[in-house]
Amino acid sequence: MSVPRTASVGPSGEAVWATERGERRQPGIVHVVMLALFIGIGIVVGTLGSLAVPIGFVSAFWPGQAVQAVGGVWFGWWGVLAGMFFPFISNALSGSAPLPVSAAYLPANFLQSFLAGAAFRWLRVDPRLQTSRDWFVWVVIGVLLANFLGAFWGTYVLTWFGMITASARPTALLGWFFGNSVPSLIFGSILLKYVSPMVLRSKAFAKGWWA
Amino acid sequence: MGEAQIAKKTLLGMVPADSPFYRFHPVGRMALLIFLSVTPLFIDMPEVNLGLILVTLGLLWWGRVRMQQVRRYLPLLVTVAIFMFGVAFLAPGNRTALTPIRSVGATFYFEPMWWAFVSYCRLIAMLFGAILYFSTNRERDTLVALRSLGVPFAVSYVAALSLRSAGMFMEDFKTIREAQQARGLDLESLSVVEKAKLYTMYTVPLFAVALRRADEISNALFAKGYTLSGRPAGGGRRTDYLRAQYPVRARDWAVSVGLVGAFALVAALSKTTGVFSDHLSPLRAVVVGMVAAR
Repeated sequence: MSVPRTASVGPSGEAVWATERGERRQPGIVHVVMLALFIGIGIVVGTLGSLAVPIGFVSAFWPGQAVQAVGGVWFGWWGVLAGMFFPFISNALSGSAPLPVSAAYLPANFLQSFLAGAAFRWLRVDPRLQTSRDWFVWVVIGVLLANFLGAFWGTYVLTWFGMITASARPTALLGWFFGNSVPSLIFGSILLKYVSPMVLRSKAFAKGWWA
Repeated sequence: MGEAQIAKKTLLGMVPADSPFYRFHPVGRMALLIFLSVTPLFIDMPEVNLGLILVTLGLLWWGRVRMQQVRRYLPLLVTVAIFMFGVAFLAPGNRTALTPIRSVGATFYFEPMWWAFVSYCRLIAMLFGAILYFSTNRERDTLVALRSLGVPFAVSYVAALSLRSAGMFMEDFKTIREAQQARGLDLESLSVVEKAKLYTMYTVPLFAVALRRADEISNALFAKGYTLSGRPAGGGRRTDYLRAQYPVRARDWAVSVGLVGAFALVAALSKTTGVFSDHLSPLRAVVVGMVAAR
């Protein structure tokens, strides 16, 4: 039977996040391993993305944000942790930011990883993006809001470390916002649409925040 | 015919196994990372940071790292410089409070340009510290360093597996690309947009591989009796193989404590005396003199 597609609360979304009667979920080794592997993927995607189109410290193409967002959606806090820490290594390898600057980016990376996961859980959105409501929440919160807040903090860090002047901040904010949002929208949507069905069947998928 | 060399595969390339770096314990090498990549944060004087960059380049050469590995960062150094000086030129801030310099038909402002130079030297010094570490250390070295410092099993395991898996995914990425090339993909003929699209498509199989690998690794760990706490499921204490295999000698402790102590000293001096301020820079005095003479 096909899943009905409606603009209201998606029934498939409810089913994805609801725990069955008698179902017990707790964090296990698979989540710790997934955390490590997800950091590894983030390092590869973030490094190659930063090297692809480098424009100083603001990359014009950083698909790493898509990895951050889908990590929070699929693996809860494990994905958020991965999204917070993989930029330390990927920024160092690609040469786009040294370790202290990456440490200062932590709040931005937290928001970019956390917001989509929180919105999907609280609003019961289907990670497979089945309805227009699912798409709306993903684009508005997971992509636009997360990247705007991330860019807001990130450009503050750039000013703080003297990488840009204060008067250049609005321009850098726009560059950061679009540089993250466009690949995140395309790349994140593909991942959610085509990889989510596999993730939902895996042991590592977290219905709650930890398991 | 050249003599075959045994090399170690690091995250950024290959380094001969007899590199002098490997005479030091991974804890010492991690202390060097802290010293080289965090100390510049407390130094505004560009001469000192330029000196640290030269020291790092010297260490790369001494450690017998192939300079080709380092040369690939050259375009980045140029684009970062263009970005920072471009921003300082185009958006200098409140122009009335700044010192104008008219040259080559344009007006520059001394203060933002000088600060861009100070920040550039500091950032590149920090970056080279990290490049040195990742050029000379394997993920195993990071794991050994963390275990020797007593970092809990789960944290050190995640750190080491993350670095290891980055290498594995890089190999997977190459395999996927080679498979596409074997089917006739011509990367040279693709536009930037097509390359970006293709790059996006690479990641779907990467995620599928990651999911399968997570299952395999967690099953293997479970079969070997590992738990999140690092203690055996049956209780008691697990023998720490790595710590037994790589003992930290007195010399290694001395090097590590010396480096971390030097970092702490620079940070304390910078905060309390301002001795590393860019206002004390002889180079700044020279440039200010030149600007005043115009």
